[in-house]
Amino acid sequence: MAVERDEHGFDAPAPLEHPARKGLPSGHSTGPEVGDRLPDFTLPDQNGKAIRFHEDRASQKSAVVFFRSAVW
Amino acid sequence: MRDAYSKFQAAGIRLYAISYDDQEVLSEFSNRQGIPYSLLSDIDSDVIREFGILNDQIEGDPLMMGIPFPGTYVTDEDGMVVAKFFHDSYKKRDSPEFLIDAALGRIDFQDEPPQASTGDEEIGLSATIRGGKGSLRQGILRQLIVRFELAEGLHIYGDPVPEGMIATSIEIAPQPGLVVLDTVEPPSRPLHLKEMDIELQVWSGTVDFVIPFYPTGEMASETRPLDMAATSLEIKVRYQACNDETCLLPRTENFEIELPLDVIDVPALSLHMGHGQREAEYDGMPHMRRLLLRKFKRKPVSIFRFLGKTLLREIAALRRRLSA
Repeated sequence: MAVERDEHGFDAPAPLEHPARKGLPSGHSTGPEVGDRLPDFTLPDQNGKAIRFHEDRASQKSAVVFFRSAVW
Repeated sequence: MRDAYSKFQAAGIRLYAISYDDQEVLSEFSNRQGIPYSLLSDIDSDVIREFGILNDQIEGDPLMMGIPFPGTYVTDEDGMVVAKFFHDSYKKRDSPEFLIDAALGRIDFQDEPPQASTGDEEIGLSATIRGGKGSLRQGILRQLIVRFELAEGLHIYGDPVPEGMIATSIEIAPQPGLVVLDTVEPPSRPLHLKEMDIELQVWSGTVDFVIPFYPTGEMASETRPLDMAATSLEIKVRYQACNDETCLLPRTENFEIELPLDVIDVPALSLHMGHGQREAEYDGMPHMRRLLLRKFKRKPVSIFRFLGKTLLREIAALRRRLSA
């Protein structure tokens, strides 16, 4: 795969037109806003255990990170 | 994130990371890296869609369809969002420490002491690099935090100031491949000067100026070996402190902070081969095969379109390289 530098000056192992290199369009929604309650969700964790977010954090503060992939 | 986990724990913050990966790869990733927090598998991207952060620019690439725009929400004890972190480029990411600072609503240096400091009993001045123990990697934001500790009665000024006085300014000397963002100033307090009948903005007590910065590929590429092991941040701080009666002379302080550049592990996949700085020892191909199978099982014909587009993009990139 080609390595190319994008308009932000970042290098990545994919051609510039690759859709995975496209950024967040300006004005695009970034989900729940500051002041909103984070929507609840239930997802399996790495051990297969179903995690219900608000129940699991048990009245603690939280950081919820959405990332692209652990595969590539 | 993993390295900063104990800081999250100490601050009472639960950490969750969500992706469209299957449980198998998350399990292996978690074991290999020793990840102590929850990696959640949103395999059909339902939660990603529900949040409204599905990457809708991926159209035509079934392999990657389903990934989110990467970003982070920080909540308080009631689950209310107190801060969120999203960027125009997926390469820009915040240091974990920023999330902690956002959750706590303050910057606590106990974990990372200042790299440079000076001053006396009246004015203390320090420079701290926040995040990643001060190391740099492409696109990862760090912060320079310049902290003033002003004795009771002293204050420093924000712009604009009348002729003859010096407003507080902090500069990082430019260097190739280093992007310095705007200074985030703390809230100032108005000070009315009767004799001159003007209102000035001042800071007193402990005052933190935060300057985010990150390297681009020119300084810290992640697709070729690094040119240098470290860079040096040259910082110039100019200010004038006064009390209600009199002003001290303006001062200029120069700091120099050495910042190492990180070498990054990349998964050993054929699409990464040949230009990584250091290929990790694990084999990512079984996971990639599973992902391909999962994605193409849904739309078998899409594999041809995918391969065709991939080939066209590679040809376009090759043409650019030949003409450069």
